[in-house]
Amino acid sequence: MAEPGWNADTGEAVYRSRDPMCNMRFRVHIQRVTSTSLLLQQLQQPSSWQDKELISLATLNTTASRHHSYDEEEEAVIGWQEKLFSQFEVDLYQNKSACQSPLDQQYHQEILNLEKAGGRRNRRIFTYTDHDRFTNLEEHCQKVTTSVQEVPSYLVERMANVRRRRQDRRPMERSALKSHMVTWEVSQELIKNNHILNTPVQTMYILADLGPYGKLGCQEHEHVLCTIKVDSNGVITVKPDLTGTNGAYRIELDGEKRELWKYTLENASAQAQQEEEERERRMFKDLYSRHKEHLGSLVGSDFEMAPPGALRLLVNGEIVSAKGYEYNNLYMRFFLELPSRWSSPVFQQLSGVTQTCTAKALDRDSVAYFSYPFTLEAFFTQEDGLEGSHILTAPTWRPVELGTVSELRRFFIGGSLELEDITYVRVPGTFQGSRLSRFGFRTEMTGSVTFRFHCLQQSKAFLESSSLRKRMQNVLDRFGGFSQQNSLYNVLEAFQRARRRMQEARESLPQDLISTSASSVLQP
Amino acid sequence: MGSIPPGGAWKLLSGVRAGQTQVDHPQLDDVAYWSHPIDIHFATKGLQGWPKLHVQVWHQDAFGRSELYGYGFCHVPSSPGFHLLECVTWRPLGSWQEELSQLFVGGGPQLLNSDLIYTGADRYRLQTQAMGVVHLQLGVLLRNFDRYGVAC
Repeated sequence: MAEPGWNADTGEAVYRSRDPMCNMRFRVHIQRVTSTSLLLQQLQQPSSWQDKELISLATLNTTASRHHSYDEEEEAVIGWQEKLFSQFEVDLYQNKSACQSPLDQQYHQEILNLEKAGGRRNRRIFTYTDHDRFTNLEEHCQKVTTSVQEVPSYLVERMANVRRRRQDRRPMERSALKSHMVTWEVSQELIKNNHILNTPVQTMYILADLGPYGKLGCQEHEHVLCTIKVDSNGVITVKPDLTGTNGAYRIELDGEKRELWKYTLENASAQAQQEEEERERRMFKDLYSRHKEHLGSLVGSDFEMAPPGALRLLVNGEIVSAKGYEYNNLYMRFFLELPSRWSSPVFQQLSGVTQTCTAKALDRDSVAYFSYPFTLEAFFTQEDGLEGSHILTAPTWRPVELGTVSELRRFFIGGSLELEDITYVRVPGTFQGSRLSRFGFRTEMTGSVTFRFHCLQQSKAFLESSSLRKRMQNVLDRFGGFSQQNSLYNVLEAFQRARRRMQEARESLPQDLISTSASSVLQP
Repeated sequence: MGSIPPGGAWKLLSGVRAGQTQVDHPQLDDVAYWSHPIDIHFATKGLQGWPKLHVQVWHQDAFGRSELYGYGFCHVPSSPGFHLLECVTWRPLGSWQEELSQLFVGGGPQLLNSDLIYTGADRYRLQTQAMGVVHLQLGVLLRNFDRYGVAC
């Protein structure tokens, strides 16, 4: 026997919305499936029965459809956190003596008002909102594996008891950081809230009282139709999902009769108008672009450029440490030597002295920390591969004299040979010729020094090559063809060359002939 | 305690320029873990005055007194990407009498002017002692530098 299209998937679905929750509406329709209507549904399937019998059963169909009494079918449109009372609650809260908390009093008042206004409009369908003490115990006792001996673990029990209420925790101001960062007296509630994943959600349950007609108001007949959870980020979790084109959900009651009820859930929220959505989107776009403009205006668009034809090298460095030297109390004196085609600005300091540092023992070596900053700016023609951050460890040496006398003197009294011209370390400044001979010069290895450099290179040449590369990429992306690459590239290359020639020619002209308003900043 | 002093052409767009971590008490190893976040946005008109990070390490003893344990300095890296920096620190030395009393009672000389940490000019006047190392992890993002011909 083929089943009618029931929806057996009761998993939850997640939706996202940034609109206010008070606009959300659900339409719930619940209907009892009587035995005749169930039979009729099955008979309406295409089958190989003879025509005669179908006709007679069809007449039965029309009489049965007129038989809907109101208790067997109900529909309700429910808003977010809208409280609909069940018969049980009406009976309970009508007695003023049963009301203890302020919420109970409020319900009592509302029920009296409802009675005066002519009774409530829902019969079986009712809701529990966030304020009620109801928690769906079934949800937490459900099994997740096929194991027969599955028992809810300690964590499951703790999670079931955590009340996921919305907490009004305001973000702490920076000035308020001084006090109350640590809670010394910890309550059980605080432990429960902090040890278990607890994002504040607002919950609402839609239930139905499925007792027999006339006997509504027993708590055993209450069944949860739908659980809706909304958290503060606009994430809506609906369990089970809205019935769309899938069939209705069914509830089978225990007991003698084993009645069958089916229900559907639909989203009945008013949709935003197309123009309103357009307007909202345009407003956001406007806001973001204005913020970007504001940030841009704070900075401006001018930037210090390198002089044309030159490469500017900027090195931010520090002398970090010195390691492995025999004696303690070290200081460093350093010189920056610029080779022949380099130049540096007038203010540039090319030498320096660090502080004196007493070393400390580190891994069988003694190390002295200087942490001495320096900046070097120099101009030249191009050298590749220098940019980036580098750490350089340079071993050092000292000159020694032949014989033991000088070493003994150094050991007892101190003082050793020093270079007269420090440029001898590399190539002496006074050297002219092709071969440098250091024959007869004796040295001994001492410790090593560590430097850290951060290098930046700036040049107008980079501007052209990088923008050419970028523009090439854009053009290629747009055309996407391999055959056109070469010709396009050649054309652009030729154009760039011509432009460069024009710029060079322009720069060589006297200043008053060139108009000052011409700008050479390329647009991306 | 750390701060980032930028040069003249640099403007701070968002983030705080100076901050202070919590007091950490190392239990295992000799490493104090702070996990202090640094989140800063600069805009600049020129390459000079690249931001530098300067740190001061202080010790808080059982009586609540603060004692200087080191000054350290490093440049913010200029190449984009993730960098693991080790900023070494040193502290000024006093006379041997001051050192002896520092051993028993605590408290040593401090710099009068903290500018000495990030300029090199007057460093030679100092007598210092090597102290520990501050480890930093910095992620650097650069934007629009290639528009002005800067390769970094």
